[in-house]
Amino acid sequence: MTSQAVCLIFLLPFSAAVAMPMLGAWRRSWCRPLALSAVGLMALFAFSACYDVLTQGPVRYALGGWDPPVGIVLVLDGLSGLLAVALSLVSLACLFFGGPALPKDLGSKVVPYHTLVLLMISALAGVTLSGDLFNLFVFLEVSALCAYALVGLSGGRALIAAFRYLILGTIGASFYLLGVGYFYAATGTLNMEDFLNRLPDALHSKAVLTGLTFILLGLAIKAAMVPFHGWLPDAYAHAPDAVVPLLASLVTKVSLYAMTRITFWVLGASTLTYEFPLLFLLSMGGTVGAVVGAFLALTQQDLRRMFAYGGISHVGLIVIGITAGNQTGFSGGVFYLANDAVMQATLFFIAGIIMYRCGARDLNQLGHLGSQMPWTSAALIVTALSMIGIPPTGGFFGKWYMVLGALEAKNYLAVAAILSSTLLTLAYFVRIIERMFGEKPSNASAAQLASEEPVEMRVSMGALAASIILLGLFSDRIVGLILRSAVPPGLG
Amino acid sequence: MIAAHDSLIVHMITRVLLPVIQLYGIYVLFFGQYGPGGGFVGGVIFGASLILTLLVFGARSNENYLAKRALRADGLGLIIYAGIGGLCMIFAGQFLNYSAVPLPGFDPPATRSLGILGTMIGVAVDIAVTSISIVDSLSFADEEGRLV
Repeated sequence: MTSQAVCLIFLLPFSAAVAMPMLGAWRRSWCRPLALSAVGLMALFAFSACYDVLTQGPVRYALGGWDPPVGIVLVLDGLSGLLAVALSLVSLACLFFGGPALPKDLGSKVVPYHTLVLLMISALAGVTLSGDLFNLFVFLEVSALCAYALVGLSGGRALIAAFRYLILGTIGASFYLLGVGYFYAATGTLNMEDFLNRLPDALHSKAVLTGLTFILLGLAIKAAMVPFHGWLPDAYAHAPDAVVPLLASLVTKVSLYAMTRITFWVLGASTLTYEFPLLFLLSMGGTVGAVVGAFLALTQQDLRRMFAYGGISHVGLIVIGITAGNQTGFSGGVFYLANDAVMQATLFFIAGIIMYRCGARDLNQLGHLGSQMPWTSAALIVTALSMIGIPPTGGFFGKWYMVLGALEAKNYLAVAAILSSTLLTLAYFVRIIERMFGEKPSNASAAQLASEEPVEMRVSMGALAASIILLGLFSDRIVGLILRSAVPPGLG
Repeated sequence: MIAAHDSLIVHMITRVLLPVIQLYGIYVLFFGQYGPGGGFVGGVIFGASLILTLLVFGARSNENYLAKRALRADGLGLIIYAGIGGLCMIFAGQFLNYSAVPLPGFDPPATRSLGILGTMIGVAVDIAVTSISIVDSLSFADEEGRLV
């Protein structure tokens, strides 16, 4: 008897997704309850599986009963357990938010929306659970295909953005696959643990280095690290409102997780990572990304584009934390990753609600909304505090540990990057808040408010804004948990 | 919009060929247990037969009722696949560990073989449905002419 919870995390949304087209043709109104209950159950199983892992150690689930390294294995350890919990909760909130926004921008495409979203959530869960380099590619590609379709779901200009996303995403996936091919040629295995055992013999082969270059390039495109971020702002600015929070909060974060997993667990923190200046290179990429992303966000007029560039800058920050080369920085980076998933979802909830109620996307149209939409403004202020990094929000503690890690590694450039991106973030949020509470715009058309936002939208926005503060209040415990059970072996 | 083919010869030959193609598709599906073949190829051949009815008899005719039905079965194949996998989980095996299912009169290797056959049927159904829905969306882009 094995614990089935690990497999059910992946399987529940998958089964619901494949049942959705037939159910939707029969009873369209049942799509949403089915999707919500599948993801809710997934969250429960993720909690129970994560609890088991944290108390009893990592779980390996051999699909089909074939043991690794021959068979395909799902691995749930501390890092993937915590991430699976975060992923299922955030996606539950995003699904809950998405319902009332649907008729406005998706029309009759309710069934495809629910199918694709569930399929994407199951594939993202698959990425976190995968213990095998090739299956990680398959899950990444399934989630990416769903993401392309979701971006283009509402047609029109979104199709162009979706096509661009498709081209760049496919290039990233091909690079990753090519890299996996080199790895396989050098060691003859695709299983992550087996690979780590066989790596010392192949350490100085050029094939491993070439494969590593391709894999990291591919994942950097998927994770939208500067300078590979070109696809992201367009895709997020034109995708349907019900879809963007899910994309922004999860897709790039899961690619970052894959990068972390490969850097520290597949290549081994103690061997290749330190002989080859891998961590240094990644950290430089993150440093550039954190500053450039925040600077580009400052120059935007469109609300969603601004948030999208903010997300790019935060990807850079997370990379800085994770590649600091010590436990403090790593746990800060992982904690910030979870935080950033919540913050991005909340930001795009807010953008969606503003769009829903007054059709405004441009900063200049935001005038005077602050007093008319008190809940939304409160959530925006909480999220802004966390994005900037002011206690007691989660963002502050994440940045705090990352700065400590960078200081410990004597990487003062990274410290400077974190601090300057904080200042730039402050600057662009001040721009938004100043507009929201500023004077009424001269043209009266901007203030055409729809009566109220639906209660689902408000609840999911409020829940995530509250969880930003909760993440801050319980940051000690969570970071302690990460330090105890989720840091890679051999990290100083 | 696909109109019916106007040649009587094509109609008659299609009527003769259709059952043969479909039988061959099912044969390839089952032969996959022993040699080249399996769910994907069998599904493609079966789906091709459905596309043939569509091309020859036109979208409006009654001969392609199976193709119209198939479009409604989107996802059925994957439900079969996940269902067989889930059955293994109910009997305390891992997902897709067919040998965990206690079938009377079958030893574990035989159960495994049967389980793989079941999932392959699921794959074949899914491939056939996918091929017909690709034709549907390519040739009936205008909403009014859609098959379903």
